[in-house]
Amino acid sequence: MSEFVAIANRKGGVGKSTVAVMLAHAAAAWGGRRVLVVDLDTQCNASLMLIGGEGWDKARRAGKTIADYFYDRFDKTAEDESEYVVNNIGDVAHPRTSKGKVALLPGSLMLEDVQGELFLMVAKKDLDADAVGVQVRGRMKRMIKHFGMDFDLVILDCPPGLSFAALAALDLAGRVVVPFRPDFVSQFALDRVALLIERVEDADQLGDIPFAKRRYVCLPNYVRGTGREQLLLDQIALDHPLLTARLPLLDSVARAFDWDETRKSMDQKYTDALPHLRTLYDEVLGPRPKLARAG
Amino acid sequence: MKTPMTKGSKPLWGTSKDAYFRRILRSEPGLGAAASERIFRRLQADVVQVRLRDASAELTVSDGAAAAVGPPGTLDAAAILFDPYSPNVVVVVRTAGRERALAALSQIERVEHLRMLAREQQLSIEAELESAADIRAAIVSAAERRIANRRAAAS
Repeated sequence: MSEFVAIANRKGGVGKSTVAVMLAHAAAAWGGRRVLVVDLDTQCNASLMLIGGEGWDKARRAGKTIADYFYDRFDKTAEDESEYVVNNIGDVAHPRTSKGKVALLPGSLMLEDVQGELFLMVAKKDLDADAVGVQVRGRMKRMIKHFGMDFDLVILDCPPGLSFAALAALDLAGRVVVPFRPDFVSQFALDRVALLIERVEDADQLGDIPFAKRRYVCLPNYVRGTGREQLLLDQIALDHPLLTARLPLLDSVARAFDWDETRKSMDQKYTDALPHLRTLYDEVLGPRPKLARAG
Repeated sequence: MKTPMTKGSKPLWGTSKDAYFRRILRSEPGLGAAASERIFRRLQADVVQVRLRDASAELTVSDGAAAAVGPPGTLDAAAILFDPYSPNVVVVVRTAGRERALAALSQIERVEHLRMLAREQQLSIEAELESAADIRAAIVSAAERRIANRRAAAS
């Protein structure tokens, strides 16, 4: 059965795409899983990390992106989604015997425009804006869900903000990883995305949901190990489940995503970031995910 | 009882020792919070005293702590060893209430340490306050405002 994991935060610049790609590589290399990364962010960073600028340009010119998929197939009953997927990509080498592979549904600069067009298209049939929004979002959710038939794991790299596609992804995901920078304003961003994921309206309602029953976990990223960061993490841990994994601010992580066609081992690609990725992988996708602090 | 100084070394015990352990553990970002806490608890329970080879050279003052008391080389040992992140006032207020937070802060006697803690924990207090008791009360009030502020935004 396919698993859907969203990487989301309404705040930008927190490392969502980086985490999405790292987890995809880890799940394929270490878990032997067939992984699809769905790039829902119009910045297309996950696509650029996985297939490079030329590969992404080729995909968009061929009309094989997430925006094309939504636009072409939105009102079709027969869905053949496989032609939109770029298979066997990334620069991590997998053993021939392994089933583990990474595939990509490339991102598109046009995704926001397409969502607007789809909204207007549905609005011609129904004048209630809220109902139209629900319909668009629901249809997108079902369209993304279709990919579960061909992959063991679908990683949804969400955009910052609240597009229909992002909401559809959050609806669909069985688990949501929320990367964040341990700084002052991040607390507010975590509070808001948590309300959205858990479908509650305020902090009291959120507090009524035990950590162990929440769909999301928070991942401190770009950690420098200062006292001030730990102070904030302790405060955030009162309200949100935190992973024990911490991704430190390392040059090796940034270097790992310089596009390079040469296939390499996980060791070669992630160098000193590898132990941190291992911890993250074990916690998020391992056999028994656990939380640092369960409420 | 006064512990005799060994030339070039500085003894640490009690909260100073604990703060030193915390600081060293925090300097290892790869160490998970749970592991870090386990190690800290073990060290706290097992170690009575540590002796640093050279207090001013060995200790790295995290974040803005050094700037708060002067340039490197002019720090007195007490200032260097003070941990401005402990107690985490917001956490104590949230989990144990105002009075417990005031009690925790009462362990900090020096006004400059209280001011340093307020600044590092981003808890705004009036610059005119002079007594330690007033500053402690202001710190706790600021923590309460921070909590209320965040709750208001989360809707």
